[in-house]
Amino acid sequence: MGLPCGTYNYSYAKDMAILRTKTHWALLIALLIVVFTAPLYWDNYLLGVANLVGITLIAAVGLNILLGYCGQLSIGHAGFIAVGAYTAAVLTGTFELPFLVGLICAGLMAGLVGLIFGIPSLKVKGFYLGIATIAAQFIIIWFINHLSITGGFTGIAVPYASIGGFVFDTEASQFYLIMTIAVLCVFFAKNLARTRIGRAFVAIRDNDLAAEVMGINLFYYKLLAFFIGCFLAGIAGSLLAHWIGFMNAEQFSISESILYIGMVIIGGMGSALGPILGVIFIRLLQQGVMFIAPMLESAFPALPAGFASGISPMLFGVVIVLFLVLEPRGLAHRWMLFKAAYRLWPFSY
Amino acid sequence: MKSKKLLTLAGVIFLALAMAVMPLMAACTPTPEEPTTPTTPTTPTTPTVKGPLKYGMSICMTGAAADKGSPMGHGKLDCIKYVNEELGGINGYPVEAVWYDNSYDAAKAATIVKKLINDGALFFTTNSSKMMSASQEIANRAGFPGIASFSAPVCTNPPQHIYAQMPDYGDDFAAFADYYLKNIWKGEGKPKMALHLLNNSTGYGARDAALCLVDELGIELVATEEHAATTISEMESLTRIKAANPDVIFISSTPAPTAVVIKNAFELGLYPGTVIGCAHASFTSAMVDIAGAEIVEGVYGVFPTVNWGDDVPGMAKMTEYCQTYHPKDYGNMDYITSWAEALIGCEILRLSLESGGYDKLAAGDAAAWELVEKNGIQKLDYDVEGLHGPVKYTAGDNRLDKAVRVFQVVSGEITAVSDWIDAPRIPYEKFPDKFPWAKP
Repeated sequence: MGLPCGTYNYSYAKDMAILRTKTHWALLIALLIVVFTAPLYWDNYLLGVANLVGITLIAAVGLNILLGYCGQLSIGHAGFIAVGAYTAAVLTGTFELPFLVGLICAGLMAGLVGLIFGIPSLKVKGFYLGIATIAAQFIIIWFINHLSITGGFTGIAVPYASIGGFVFDTEASQFYLIMTIAVLCVFFAKNLARTRIGRAFVAIRDNDLAAEVMGINLFYYKLLAFFIGCFLAGIAGSLLAHWIGFMNAEQFSISESILYIGMVIIGGMGSALGPILGVIFIRLLQQGVMFIAPMLESAFPALPAGFASGISPMLFGVVIVLFLVLEPRGLAHRWMLFKAAYRLWPFSY
Repeated sequence: MKSKKLLTLAGVIFLALAMAVMPLMAACTPTPEEPTTPTTPTTPTTPTVKGPLKYGMSICMTGAAADKGSPMGHGKLDCIKYVNEELGGINGYPVEAVWYDNSYDAAKAATIVKKLINDGALFFTTNSSKMMSASQEIANRAGFPGIASFSAPVCTNPPQHIYAQMPDYGDDFAAFADYYLKNIWKGEGKPKMALHLLNNSTGYGARDAALCLVDELGIELVATEEHAATTISEMESLTRIKAANPDVIFISSTPAPTAVVIKNAFELGLYPGTVIGCAHASFTSAMVDIAGAEIVEGVYGVFPTVNWGDDVPGMAKMTEYCQTYHPKDYGNMDYITSWAEALIGCEILRLSLESGGYDKLAAGDAAAWELVEKNGIQKLDYDVEGLHGPVKYTAGDNRLDKAVRVFQVVSGEITAVSDWIDAPRIPYEKFPDKFPWAKP
């Protein structure tokens, strides 16, 4: 990370720190204060959108570890989220186990299922691995639909999350729960990238043959990436289940999996900031286009039938295409450019 | 290194503090108002300004279900336009359609129901069981009443704040089986029935009902086969069904796969000879067009609304609006369904308005929702201008309309062969091991 003009580091530890200046700390603390006081001035709808963003972020961080850092394409991420959601739903709903037990088990179960579908990654990569993970999407959903414990096609109700007698039964309390876990996950992912494991992931992504020659155990690290990525997907699934309150396999379609890849690409693969920006961008864009059709219909009654409702998905598609054309390296790269300009400010040379 | 440790420690302390004060902060935030018991119905007061009555809608205008959601959206929005423009609203109060496109996306549907709550909508509707299942728990927890046009048993079982406009796919089976036994079956003993089901809630709704009812009705279930929405041949599954020698085949699916099943049954010589009945999701003119009128001649089906052109009081105005604003939807039964939904919605608002007054409804809060539910939805007794079976609430049964009609393809036309048949409530709760969602 670059520093503002005239600021230098004098030790390796300082150079490796995530937050290196007082300004960094001030900004982070200000951001956390803004985020954690949001329920005081946001209404339930905005908190609901924020909760959805938080849950999506946890899953996208997982996918970013798998795809962005380790280079393992997964087109079955929604399936892994479903594993977590249903594990939490069954454990807390049917067996009435505590929320935290359900949360951890959801992550572990999704991680284990991810390990199984990650095994082909040693032999295949790229699009071929993508096809293998699509199989995960279909197989997982098939099992969910045909197991009686999951409620089959009908679905399953999920109780509110609760910790030690405190029930997260309002949008605000759910917001604190989800945001705290999201912050922890982002912090974990950021740190993971700076460890030996993270560097091994990057080495595998950049050239797996060279990585193996350097002594990196490809099978171990690829499976580890699948486990961690899917573990986070499972955590997100668990939170989603408790937030929505009712799970149905139709909520985890392949289009959701593709959307997650889109979020990571648009945000910027292989950076901690990328998933955050990508998730916020896509989820807010989705909410934005939701308002367009009713607004157009009421403002221009003479519009031909279907035009107003048709324009929303078109706009969504156009924005994404334009984005990929104009900023193929993602929002995180744009942010880096902005920071680079700021670093030299007020001198442009 | 020392400063790094300090920073890490500070970070950990901050997060620990955040976790620790989380319940405290949550407790400090504004909490939703507790529902209050509605007061005794009073004479409506005359307000100075006649503000709108907010009717919430979560519509699949786009996305995977847009083929059904789009005409349904047009139907209900056109009906609201008709109520406002020609009837002067409800007792002089205009109806405001507060609607959002959920794109058939569950996560979006969940945020939409929160938005509708925030917007002060008095109740909300969805046009698909999937979207209702994604919204229902949020609505039930808030006490926000909702109505699903097309619903699954799980939306209304156990009964809470979600209601079904029409019978579900399980009810289709119940009504058809009852009609078959009373009017078509002429043999001795139990008739043998086979099920051919779409592999989602449309098919499984019928299967669940069959599991509950066959013994009670006196039907022998000899085969159950599944198909995908994209199926192009069902020769194999129908060969197995043929080997079981059924008297009747019940298909619960959508138009295209139903057409494939019937065509294949025709090619195998299974039909004619065996009676075929279809659930309402498939029994439209599209199914007849895809399969061919000659092949589907004589096939039975159930549907919960009247057909276009039928002589019922609501037909003329609906046809006029459809042909004026959305002519492409003319002939689509889904438009009728949602026009009827909006009529029911307006009737609910009228009952609520007359019993509680505008000021109480205008708040759009928990008390208003309770008023709408108790004095509107649960007091319904409305013929829906003949467009579908009468809607009336029965305690413990959140299906508002329980009636379907049996139709038959006659000379290529879908023709009604029965009057409205009430589908009995299916006692899912008697089979808790099979249907855990139905536990009271």
